[in-house]
Amino acid sequence: MKASARSFAHPVEEEFARILDFYGIPWQYEPRTFVLERDEQGNVTDAFTPDFYLPEQDLYVELTTMQPHQIRHKNRKVRRLRELYPDVNIKLFKRRDIRSLLLKFGVEDYPEMMTNKL
Amino acid sequence: MTSISMDSEQPGLSPMLRDISRIVLSEEEIRRRVRELGAQISQDYAGLNPLLIGVLKGVLFFMSDLLRAITIPVTVDFMAISRYAPRQPAKGPVRLIKDLDEAVEGRHLLFVEDVIDTGLTLSYLLRTLKARNPASLEVCTLFNKPEHRLADIPLKYKGFDLPDRFVVGYGLDYQEGYRHLPFVGELKPEILRLGRSGSEDVKRANLEKAGH
Repeated sequence: MKASARSFAHPVEEEFARILDFYGIPWQYEPRTFVLERDEQGNVTDAFTPDFYLPEQDLYVELTTMQPHQIRHKNRKVRRLRELYPDVNIKLFKRRDIRSLLLKFGVEDYPEMMTNKL
Repeated sequence: MTSISMDSEQPGLSPMLRDISRIVLSEEEIRRRVRELGAQISQDYAGLNPLLIGVLKGVLFFMSDLLRAITIPVTVDFMAISRYAPRQPAKGPVRLIKDLDEAVEGRHLLFVEDVIDTGLTLSYLLRTLKARNPASLEVCTLFNKPEHRLADIPLKYKGFDLPDRFVVGYGLDYQEGYRHLPFVGELKPEILRLGRSGSEDVKRANLEKAGH
């Protein structure tokens, strides 16, 4: 799927998809939800849906533009996912990583893109 | 960590030195490692007449020094690709804007990179080269930033792992500036926030000198 053919929850996600498209890297957007916790009745009480899956790399990518002190929740989810699904490869791109990525690819208006929480 | 001497022997670099918070790899550290890589490549490729391939422009400095550290016959060629243009999807996907002059079928190819970060650019170039049926295709990078890797890149030769910081120098740029610093240094965060590069400072200083 091409970035232009769908909508995203956040402009950073759209830019990330455009970069992947540019280099011909196949991707899927939020294709799978991982159950992290169930209650005693078996109902899902916590789950995690990474933003992207890169099938050729067998890699999930989660993007977050939250400030470092705000991402404890996200870190915990990624850590729990790795514990429960050890065969799943996931990378968490934090605010600083996203800034580096956008700078590298010449996205000059990256500060505005990162004002909304992702 | 190495401190930065503001009394640089290259006074033209002074405006850019102000933008660097610390030196990550010194000129001497880089020189020593490039010599080691050159010796290893000379040993591994003896009798194979490899073709060293680089992608413009950042690799110029490393390629130049590496070639002079290699003691066996080699040839060199360069490629260039279009850059990602944010907000301009009409420009289409990545494409070669300069292809190789040499034929590569049946040749032993060594792709030389200054830095591998996401691996997206190199992934595209390796796919392109593999389709041309070389005898072998390996990768040599001076700098490796594995934290942000999005495409698998098998590395045969690696100079240094770099920290997850925005660094410039020895081919690494920020807005096309700082490439010619002889060391690798970390850029001050305020430079990134301001979105200006040392090259712009130099241009500005030159304009002021010229009375504009």
